[in-house]
Amino acid sequence: MSTQDSHSILFTHTRPQEGFRLLELTPELEELLTSKDAPVLELKSPSTALAQAVVDPTAHDYVNLCTPTQTYRIRQVQSSNSLHILRPSRGEISQADIKVVEEEAGESGALNLPDEAVTAIAKCSSTLELHVPPGGFSAILFLEKSLRLYDRRSDDDGDIAMGGSADSAGPLGPKEMRTARENVCQDIPVSTAQCEQGWMELCAFVDGAEGVACWRPSARSRLAVWKRLVEGAVLQGIDLEKQFLVGDLWKSVLDDDEEMEPPFPRALLEAVVRRICIADERPPLAEDIKWASFDKVECTQWVGETYLAATAPATSSAIGRSEFLRAWKDCLPETWRGEATLSRLPNGCYNSPDPTTICFVEPSQRQLTNKAASAPAAAAKAKNTRNWHELLKGRR
Amino acid sequence: MPSIKLRPHCSSPVKATATASTPNNPLPTLLQTPSGLALLELQGTINVPSGNEEDDIDYSSMDNPASTFETPIGKLMFPDYSVHNPDDEKWMKRAYMYIGRYQRMTGEVKKLPRPIAVLRKCQASEDEELEVVEIVRYKIFFKSRPEPVTNV
Repeated sequence: MSTQDSHSILFTHTRPQEGFRLLELTPELEELLTSKDAPVLELKSPSTALAQAVVDPTAHDYVNLCTPTQTYRIRQVQSSNSLHILRPSRGEISQADIKVVEEEAGESGALNLPDEAVTAIAKCSSTLELHVPPGGFSAILFLEKSLRLYDRRSDDDGDIAMGGSADSAGPLGPKEMRTARENVCQDIPVSTAQCEQGWMELCAFVDGAEGVACWRPSARSRLAVWKRLVEGAVLQGIDLEKQFLVGDLWKSVLDDDEEMEPPFPRALLEAVVRRICIADERPPLAEDIKWASFDKVECTQWVGETYLAATAPATSSAIGRSEFLRAWKDCLPETWRGEATLSRLPNGCYNSPDPTTICFVEPSQRQLTNKAASAPAAAAKAKNTRNWHELLKGRR
Repeated sequence: MPSIKLRPHCSSPVKATATASTPNNPLPTLLQTPSGLALLELQGTINVPSGNEEDDIDYSSMDNPASTFETPIGKLMFPDYSVHNPDDEKWMKRAYMYIGRYQRMTGEVKKLPRPIAVLRKCQASEDEELEVVEIVRYKIFFKSRPEPVTNV
């Protein structure tokens, strides 16, 4: 038969077999891994404590694959077919064994030389697939559980502030702050960029006054920093909409009396400034924020949301709408007051228990309502897929 | 839980012990990869007659070439492939695998819908680390059962 004369390759099975895993790549990952200076990726799962605190409804145990900026959930997909990994043979086959597949040389003249051979060195019955759930991954829920809540009131004239320990431990250097932050992010199963994004959104900061600790300020603390910052800026004539030195702003919030404790750590002021400054001008977290300027609209929005979170965190503590609007305006610099309207608040951040009142909706609750809305879309998508995991997920 | 690093490049070529004599890769060029690794998918599995399955993952003996041995299974053929015309991809439609001398499977070479990274434990490092040994874009795929052949 003619096919027998064409190029044929001896196929063998090597023992012992080796251990490999197969990972299906997305186009972005393929590009990343084949680029010249491809980064080291990480397989991350939450620490046991975090896994219990932040329950993922879709999976008990999970591992996420993290690039510097992206996160993917790894799913192991079993196959009834077996995937063998081949490599060229090194000819460790005895000539006698070859008779199993080939008649003796001479008769057909087609005996393969041992180097014309490939060998199966591993078998995989499953592959690892990657997927990103609708809504993506966020570090915020994990950070909220990992960071200590900072809830000191700076408008109490410093009576309960910091208890004089600030001078015993000098301010932390950027390197120490970075190490502390990275230690927290280590246990959070999302990419570094997403961790830093969450850190920045929460205005989290590192403070060395009571041993090195990472904090997330309460809404009340964030609002207090904002009020103090506006007061200081007005007194010192700093125009927040134009570029200003963050060092000048810090001086403006300090009392004239140098003996006084600062109302809050400088790192907290910097975290708040970083959060609300114009995004394009925001330096990476690893760098100090030296200059900043605020955008009137975005800043007003943040202040409104923060005020609501601080004063009406739940339905039971809802406040009157007009009262809220008045208080919101009072938090703003004089020229910004016109910006404070309900339509300016971020989508879904508030709820109205009755037509005259308003209260804050936690970001995690907002996600739930978003998910409910997108569920039919997911079901429709599942119908079009041939993946059994997707097909069966909706029926459980 | 500590994170596990996944290194993008193979720090050492597959089985660096044999660098001096990297075996000639007999597969069609399209299936060849820098490390020489390729993928073969079968419906079912290959049963090799030597009982103890636990031997399969005996890493301790892996560096010793004397302890690895190959059992011939059959032959792979790409009947329409020609070395002289590697750009023509029509040959991919037909591939044969002979098992022993009297059974044959018919299959094809397929481009993977998504490339597959072949991972394994980093042997160089002490910590548990993984590395991407290869990124494979094609597979040899046999989806049918073997048929008997008599005219060998």
